[in-house]
Amino acid sequence: MKRIHIGRRAALAGGVAAFASPAVLRAQSDPIKLATLTPLTGAGGSYGPTMAKVAASVVEEVNKAGGVLGRKVVLVSEDDQTSPEPAVRAARKLIDVDKVVAIMGTWASSVTTAVAPLCWESKTFLCTVSGADSITQLPHQGFLIRTQPNSTLQVSRVGEFILSLGAKKVFTMIPQTPFTQATFDILNAVLPKGGATHQSLIYDDKKTTYRTEVDQALRASPDVILANGYTPDSIVLLKDLYRAGFKGKILGFAYSINQKLIDQIGQPEVVEGVYTFAPSPAEGSAAYEKVKAAVGSANPDPYTCQVYDHTNMVLMSMAFAKDASGTAIKDNIRKVTQGGGKTVDNAVDGIKAIAAGEKIDYTGASGPCDFDDKGDILDCKFRYEQIKSGKFTVVKIA
Amino acid sequence: MRAWRPALRQGMILLQALVNGLVSGTLLAVPAIGFTAMFAVLRFPNFSVSGVATLGAFAGYLAYGAGLQMAGSLAVAFAVAGAAGLLFDKVAHLPLVKQGALPAAIASIATGLVLENVVRLGFGNEPRGYDRPIARDIYLGEIRVSPQQLETMALALALMLAVFAALAFTRIGKAMRASADNPELAALKGIRPERIAMMASFVGMGLVGVGGMLLGLDSSIDPLTGTRILLSIFAAAVLGGLGSAPGAVLGAFLIGVAEELSVLVVGSQYRAAVGFVAILIVLSLRPRGLLGERAF
Repeated sequence: MKRIHIGRRAALAGGVAAFASPAVLRAQSDPIKLATLTPLTGAGGSYGPTMAKVAASVVEEVNKAGGVLGRKVVLVSEDDQTSPEPAVRAARKLIDVDKVVAIMGTWASSVTTAVAPLCWESKTFLCTVSGADSITQLPHQGFLIRTQPNSTLQVSRVGEFILSLGAKKVFTMIPQTPFTQATFDILNAVLPKGGATHQSLIYDDKKTTYRTEVDQALRASPDVILANGYTPDSIVLLKDLYRAGFKGKILGFAYSINQKLIDQIGQPEVVEGVYTFAPSPAEGSAAYEKVKAAVGSANPDPYTCQVYDHTNMVLMSMAFAKDASGTAIKDNIRKVTQGGGKTVDNAVDGIKAIAAGEKIDYTGASGPCDFDDKGDILDCKFRYEQIKSGKFTVVKIA
Repeated sequence: MRAWRPALRQGMILLQALVNGLVSGTLLAVPAIGFTAMFAVLRFPNFSVSGVATLGAFAGYLAYGAGLQMAGSLAVAFAVAGAAGLLFDKVAHLPLVKQGALPAAIASIATGLVLENVVRLGFGNEPRGYDRPIARDIYLGEIRVSPQQLETMALALALMLAVFAALAFTRIGKAMRASADNPELAALKGIRPERIAMMASFVGMGLVGVGGMLLGLDSSIDPLTGTRILLSIFAAAVLGGLGSAPGAVLGAFLIGVAEELSVLVVGSQYRAAVGFVAILIVLSLRPRGLLGERAF
C-alpha cells in the first residue's frame, strides 16, 4: 500500500482551496433541491395538495434508493394560491432563497405565465400542467415542459365531440383566462366545419350569480352550452342554467365539473346529462398504480399523475446529465423520456438503468411523456364522461 | 319584422337585468349596512368583513346542516360573526384606532386573512352548498325570478327593516346614532362610548355574517366567499356615504344594478371595474357620498 504523505504546506493549500473554491465544488454533498408550486388554496385548491404529496412520495423513494448522484433530494412545497401574484412571490422564494433547480406542478395558466420568466431567467427548470397555448410560445429557451395537452389540442377535440352530439348552435360561457381567446378562435374554426354556429360570453368568475349572463346566452337559443369555468363559478352557473329552464346539452371540462361539484349542488337533476371532458391518464399502467398507492386514491386526477411524471423525469435527467442544475435538466430531459430504449416508469429504476449505462425511455402515469421542441406533449388520450343520476359514467376514451 | 320588436326585446333584457340587479343589491345591502355602521361609530373601515362574511356563511351552513330552520341559521350566523367581530375589534383593531384609521384598517385586512384561513383550516377549499332545493324560475310575463331569490330577498328586507326600526326606536339604537353623530356630546349625556363601540362591532359584523350567508344561499360558499364581495360592499358604502345606513342601502342597490347592467354593456369580466369606477367617481365628485356622512 502506498502511503500518501500530506505535508503541512499542502494541507494548508488544500484547506484554503476548499474554502475559496466556488460553491459548486462544496455543493457536491449538499442536497439537491426541487420544488412543487401547486394550488394548495384558491380555485385549484382541491388538486394542489395531492399534487405536492405525489412529488414527495417519488422523492422519498429515490432518497431511499440512494438519492441522485450520491446526493439526497429535498423537496420544497409552496402554495401558488391559484393566483399569479402570490405565485410569483412563492417562486422568487424558491429560486432565490431555496435555490431549487426545478419547479413542478404549476396549475393555472395565469400562474404558469407569470412564473415562467422567473424560471428561464434564473435557469430553473419548470414543469407545468397548464393548458393555455400561449405558455409554450413564451421565449422559455427550453426551460419549460408541460404534460397537459395544449388548448389547441384539447379544444379541437372538444369541438369535434360537440359536433358528434349533433349540435347546431353552440354557446361558450367562460371566465377570463389565458386560454379564453384561443378557445374562441379554435371553436370558431372547428364548429362551422361541422355545420354549427358558435357564440360566446366572458364572465367574471367572482360573481355570486350569473342570471344576467344566462339570459344573454339563452337569447342565442343554443342547443349546447360549453361551461368552461372553474369549479366554484361552474356551480353557480349550472344552478342558474337549471333555474332558467335550459333544456339543451351542457358540456364542461372535468377539472371543474367533478364529483365535488355534483356533491355540492346536491340535486342530481341540476347536473343530469352534463358531459365532461379530460385528458386521460394512462389508467392501468404500472406508474398509474404507483400514483394510486402514493396518494391513497382509487381514482387519482390527471394533474397528480402529471406531477408524478414531472418528478421522475427531472430526477432521471439530472442522473443522466451527472449534473444537478436547471440547464442540465433542460438539455437532457428528452434523452430520458423519448427516442427508444429500456422502458421505465419510475425514477428509481431509471437511475439504476442509467448507472448501468442503458438508454431509457420513460413512460409515465399521465401517458408516454414525449415532448416536441417547444415543450408540448406529442400524444395523449381523452376521456369523455356523462353525469347520470349524480354519477360519472364513461362515454368513451379516445 | 316590425320595427318595435327588437326595441321591446332590448327593453325586456334591460328590465330583466334591472330585476337581477335589485335582487343582488338587496343581498349586498345587509353587509353594507354593517360595514357603514361600524365605520360610523368606530371611525375606521373594517376590511375584515371579508373574513367575517365567510365565517358567518360557514356558521350558518353548520347550523342549517344541523337541522335549524333558515331564521335560526341566520341567527347563528349573526351571533358567530358578531362575536368574532367583537373579539377582533377588541384585540386588534381598536387599540390601533388611536393612531389613526389607517393602522386599524390595515390590521383589519390582516385579521380578515386570518379568519379566511381559519375557515380554510377547518373546512378546506372545496365549495359547499346549503342543502336547499334548487327550483326552476317563475316567469312573470317575460321577466323571470327565482322563488328562492325572492325568499332570500324577503329575509334580507325583513332584517333591514328590523335594523332601521332598532336604530330609530330603541334606546340603544338612539345611543348609537348619537355616538356616531358626536361622540363627545354623547359621552357628556352619559352614553358610554365603549359600550356603543362594542355594540357597533357586534351588530355590524353580525350583519356582515348574515350577508355572507344570504349571498351564499344561492351560490356556494368557500373560504373566499367574503373576499369576492368585499369590493362590492366597500363600493356600496362609499357610494352611499361612509357612515350612513340609508346611504349603504342606496349604494348597494346602485352597485347591484350597475354590476348587472355592465354585463350587457361592457361584459361581465369588467364587473370588478364597476366597483372601482363607482368609488373613483364618488371620491372625486362627491367625497361624502350620495347621502353624505349623516349617520343613519
